[in-house]
Amino acid sequence: MIPLVGSITIWFVAKIFVIIALAIYAVFAGVVLKQIKMMTDTIEVGFETPIIFIGLAHFLFAVGVLVFALIIL
Amino acid sequence: MTDIYVSEDIKKKKHRPTHPQSPESPVLEAQTAEPKTKAQREKIPEHTHNPLSAYCYYPESVNFETRESEEKVVLMMRKHPITNLRWIVVSTLMVFAPSLLGFLPTIEAIPANFRFIGILGWYLVTTAYLLENFLTWFFNVYFITDERIIDVDFYNLIYKEVSEAEIEKIQDVTYKMGGVARTIFNYGDILVQTAAEVPNFEFLAVPRPDKVVKILQDLRIEEKQEALEGRIR
Repeated sequence: MIPLVGSITIWFVAKIFVIIALAIYAVFAGVVLKQIKMMTDTIEVGFETPIIFIGLAHFLFAVGVLVFALIIL
Repeated sequence: MTDIYVSEDIKKKKHRPTHPQSPESPVLEAQTAEPKTKAQREKIPEHTHNPLSAYCYYPESVNFETRESEEKVVLMMRKHPITNLRWIVVSTLMVFAPSLLGFLPTIEAIPANFRFIGILGWYLVTTAYLLENFLTWFFNVYFITDERIIDVDFYNLIYKEVSEAEIEKIQDVTYKMGGVARTIFNYGDILVQTAAEVPNFEFLAVPRPDKVVKILQDLRIEEKQEALEGRIR
């Protein structure tokens, strides 16, 4: 592996960018979950539980990928 | 004027606005007459318990934040499900896209752990795309109640707008259907012009626009009768 500067390689820089991107995505997923809860407060049509579950699963998936990236990269 | 004469016939027809074209039609009768009981609601052809339905006449277990206690939801609509076809196809292609990565000759230059995280990241983006489109469709709802029309809009998951106008302030209702898909699947746009603060309401790509216009006409007639009889809530 050819170092860019000192011991910093291109994959180390890539790892930083990937972690930052996944962290931003996890925040976005949290905002989506919050928004879903707000939406279900605005309108109730009898499908609130599955929708909140989908939003929660998406948020957990995003956090899981972030943690996984921190471990394996 | 306070002493307007109202005939007994009109009083009897208060909750049963009739249609001049086919007053004897049982389907139309079922649509225009207000169902009092759950059994009556069940008999209406367009009544459904499916929460993902795009058109539900006298829906049950439907509520919205500005609803008044005595207000009855006559019709709930959202865009016709066929309008979702585009993002469903794109999402399906996105799901299978990572399997094409093996055909790229340069993919081997990327370390396996980065490739794996890249694929997971791709599926995150796919999930976000799918979720945003579904939620935008699901929460963009139009309500017609016995008192108001309500347009609930959600834009891009971070902005919502709720507009409403009273039935009695509706001035003009027009609908348009054009194109192959709209004709085949029977959906179209309805433009409601009002004297309220929001001058125009657009119910976009809603199913059965002709019936929606008819329901709005009936409600307007009923509101006028209520105004004449002094029964305004």
